[in-house]
Amino acid sequence: MENAKAVIEALLFLAEEPLGLSRIAAGLGLTKEKAQEFIEELQHDFIEQQRGLRILEVAGGYQMGSDPALAPYLEKAVGGEESGQLSNAALETLAIIAYRQPLTRLEIEEIRGVRCEHILDNLIKRKLIRISGRKEGPGRPLIYKTTPDFLVYFGLKDLKELPPLEQ
Amino acid sequence: MTSRPDPCTIRLPVFEGPFDLLFHLIKKDELDIWDVSIAAVAEQYLAYLRSMRELNLDIASEFLVMAATLLRLKSKLLLPRPFEAGEEDEEDLFQFKSPEELFERLEEYRRFKEAAVFFRERAEAQSKVYLRSTGGREKFILLSGRQQQKTYYTYWEGAHLLGEIMNRFEALAAARSMAPAIDLVEDIPISDRSGYICAMLDKSGGALSFSSLLQQKNIREILVTFIALLDLARRRRVRLLQDRLFGPILVLPAEKECG
Repeated sequence: MENAKAVIEALLFLAEEPLGLSRIAAGLGLTKEKAQEFIEELQHDFIEQQRGLRILEVAGGYQMGSDPALAPYLEKAVGGEESGQLSNAALETLAIIAYRQPLTRLEIEEIRGVRCEHILDNLIKRKLIRISGRKEGPGRPLIYKTTPDFLVYFGLKDLKELPPLEQ
Repeated sequence: MTSRPDPCTIRLPVFEGPFDLLFHLIKKDELDIWDVSIAAVAEQYLAYLRSMRELNLDIASEFLVMAATLLRLKSKLLLPRPFEAGEEDEEDLFQFKSPEELFERLEEYRRFKEAAVFFRERAEAQSKVYLRSTGGREKFILLSGRQQQKTYYTYWEGAHLLGEIMNRFEALAAARSMAPAIDLVEDIPISDRSGYICAMLDKSGGALSFSSLLQQKNIREILVTFIALLDLARRRRVRLLQDRLFGPILVLPAEKECG
């Protein structure tokens, strides 16, 4: 397929969320290995030709984003991160959920030693975590998990990319 | 009237919770968590709370519960086995039977506190990458008009804008040879209009401008569309954005449910 790279480029341009390798491969009628080769070539081309976009590997797929080096200019034109940075408390809570998921609010609070209802609400609103069900047992408390948006937010391929917790 | 003097501002480190404070106290003395005596930590902890109270700072209840826990642990060391049974409080966030247990929990907290640094760094690096999925498009439409955005207007500007509104209103009325009085009692098919708006939104799959929803652009249609939109927004079926006074109104589909 001679225009495979161009098709992949167009697909990634259109996608609003990370595209899985299998979806890209299926769309092109290629094997995953072959599709990955093309993606890697494309990634290389973007850097080589000093283009404004990069192909990122996040949340178990590929996504087009701007070159981080352009951030100062883009910020001027489009504005910076509107929603604001996460507080230390929110980051701590996220870290606990990321490593220990799925877990209940009480389990999070036991580790942090602080109540964190509001933080959880906020993280849910920002779609960084979600309620994934209830725990069996007394009171059947809700349990929380990280979302694909969480991986995108932190630029992670998957949860395995988290550094091991220091012992 | 004399103006009140500025109250002096004191910056204290913000502690995320009692663990954070305990952790800080231990680290301040560069002690190993396992070498710290519970009595010394308890004393410093209470001293800190005392100074917070002198400064009239609100002390979150968790800090007080921890103070009680520390005192209980300390008293246990001083008085060999005074009252073992019946002291567990289910509501208690901190149920430690020994200082070791407390320090173990502190260690665990420290691991996550340090892991949070990794997340902070990644978030910062990632914030330099702009994606379509992070609402880039919405944001762009909104912010591209920001230069003109104003929070207040001078009288002259206000008068000018008001004049413009009157002009447009007159032009509309003249075009339709309709008196600018609307009979609202008449049956206005708002639900038809809502259905039409939803269908248009589905078809476009993204943002629509208010004016693109109008076909005839007469006052009745504008009114009905506007009311239908307000109703849809109230029922959270659409989101409405307007970046400045009298700016174009943008209609967006409701936010996707998470999960």
